[in-house]
Amino acid sequence: MKDFYANLSLNKKLGLFAFVLGFLALFAGSPYHGSEATVNAKELALIVEKEVDHVSVQTLADWIIQGKSDFRLIDLRNEKDFAEYHVPSAENVPLSGLDQSNLQHNEKIILYSDGGIHSAQAWMLLAAKGFKGVYILRGGLEEWKDQILFPHIPENLTPAQVVEFAKTKEVSKFFGGAPQSGGTTDAATPKLAMPKLEAPAGAQSKAAPTKKKKEGC
Amino acid sequence: MMAPFFKYGLFGDDVSLVVAFITGIGFGFFLERGGFNSAKKLAAQFYFTDLTVFKVMFTAIITAMVGLYYLSVIGFLDLSLVYLTPTFLLPQVVGGLLLGFGFVIGGYCPGTSCVAVSTGRIDAMVYLGGTMFGILVFGEVFPLVSNFYVSTPMGQITLPQITGLPYGLLVFLVVLMALGGFVGAEWVERKMASKKAGAAL
Amino acid sequence: MSTQGERHPQPYWNPYVAGIGLGLVLLASFVVMGRGLGASGAFSSLVTVGVQSIAPDHVAHNEFYSEYIGDGTKSPLKDWLVFEVLGVFVGGFISGSLAHRVTKVVEKGPNISTRGRLLFAFAGGGLMGIGAKLARGCTSGQALTGGALFNVGSWAFMMMVFGGAYAMAYFVRRQWQ
Repeated sequence: MKDFYANLSLNKKLGLFAFVLGFLALFAGSPYHGSEATVNAKELALIVEKEVDHVSVQTLADWIIQGKSDFRLIDLRNEKDFAEYHVPSAENVPLSGLDQSNLQHNEKIILYSDGGIHSAQAWMLLAAKGFKGVYILRGGLEEWKDQILFPHIPENLTPAQVVEFAKTKEVSKFFGGAPQSGGTTDAATPKLAMPKLEAPAGAQSKAAPTKKKKEGC
Repeated sequence: MMAPFFKYGLFGDDVSLVVAFITGIGFGFFLERGGFNSAKKLAAQFYFTDLTVFKVMFTAIITAMVGLYYLSVIGFLDLSLVYLTPTFLLPQVVGGLLLGFGFVIGGYCPGTSCVAVSTGRIDAMVYLGGTMFGILVFGEVFPLVSNFYVSTPMGQITLPQITGLPYGLLVFLVVLMALGGFVGAEWVERKMASKKAGAAL
Repeated sequence: MSTQGERHPQPYWNPYVAGIGLGLVLLASFVVMGRGLGASGAFSSLVTVGVQSIAPDHVAHNEFYSEYIGDGTKSPLKDWLVFEVLGVFVGGFISGSLAHRVTKVVEKGPNISTRGRLLFAFAGGGLMGIGAKLARGCTSGQALTGGALFNVGSWAFMMMVFGGAYAMAYFVRRQWQ
């Protein structure tokens, strides 16, 4: 067999090679993967409406504390703001640089900006380009400051709330924030407590102490 | 999936022009290597004495086709992002016919005339002048032919879509067709050469 | 490649090897750019710029030219195909020089005058220019690129090119034989 092949002329070797590749193509399947990157306006609208494309600041904080690395956190603000402060592990990709960024279609991408508008616009851009795993940090950096860095801890807590806020304080300290206790009016209290219900369940929060392995910044 | 690199934003427009230049160098290099800078060699295709045009062209087509197929199957390349010129059947058939006439009359096609010019072929320079004149004529009469130009639109459509055959099967069939064509081409060339030798005696 | 026979043009490569090289360049273009090769489009840009410099209004009102002008934010010559074709000239010259195939010559058969051949070349070029624009591409952009992509229009085009050339071959045989 070896001799047979060695005795073939170059043209016949090339021909044989082409034949084998062609023959294998019979069994290799479709090249398309059904991954047409077209924008379906209705589908996008439904995603937007259901808010399944959002990630809360608490969820993000938990992920960072747990050292999850299956996502990329993208800071859409300009370089100067990014240098002043950014969420740990974030990368700076200004909105104008989104075209040239090295973001991959198969990555989980979380976008944030000061509020929510720039993230939403960037989300649309990426969705139109066929990205599937793009999420927006709800409330952006403002919410991050309010809820994670400088959470208001109200007075007169129920025992259950005390436990809850203990976690909040931990998280806040982890990210170098400072919980603000007292001083808030009664009206504000339930409002601040509300988002806590959406926070991840105890299982995830329990992981908070592992933070000590990771250097907070 | 990460290819096509440009479509995934791995580099910008300015870099793409550098890529274009380098791609062109490769294109021109292999065109010249194959003998596409010689009108005599190109035209000989249509008198069955030298079938290099057919051989080079179809080898290139099946190489790119097979490569494209396997890179897509393994998930490296998103085939749906590779640009496909939309089909307008009738103008393309008529255009192809005119281009065929021009090929054997002029001795080149636009790409091959470029390598012929850079290797000193004076007829190729005149040919290119003619090509640009033809484009100018087309541009000037465009308002008159614009209806025909957009007639029989079929959109971006491929043979697997129109025939309903699996992509892989068509790859195999085209490879078979090309290989058969190559065997036939070698045979015809030998036949023509011996006929010529016989006539010379 | 040997360097002996300094001035003698070297023979061309095995066509299948050259074809594989060409196919790999085309494949690289698909992978890197997501598009194939082309040639005639670059000359359309050149013609458009030429006409524009003489009659800018005329270009603006012509659908064909305005396609090559784009949105007017950049020069029509700052175009992918234009740079690719510049490369083709350079690549052809590199290959030709390495193989001592660069010679100032008019390619023709023995039975036709130089002037006759040049007239044919111009006429053939003209037909090619019109045909390529009507077909939205030439042998590079349609036959080669579209052929590898199974583009329906390109395959129809390719058959017609060979058909047309074989049909016409008999009538211009004096030029080549």
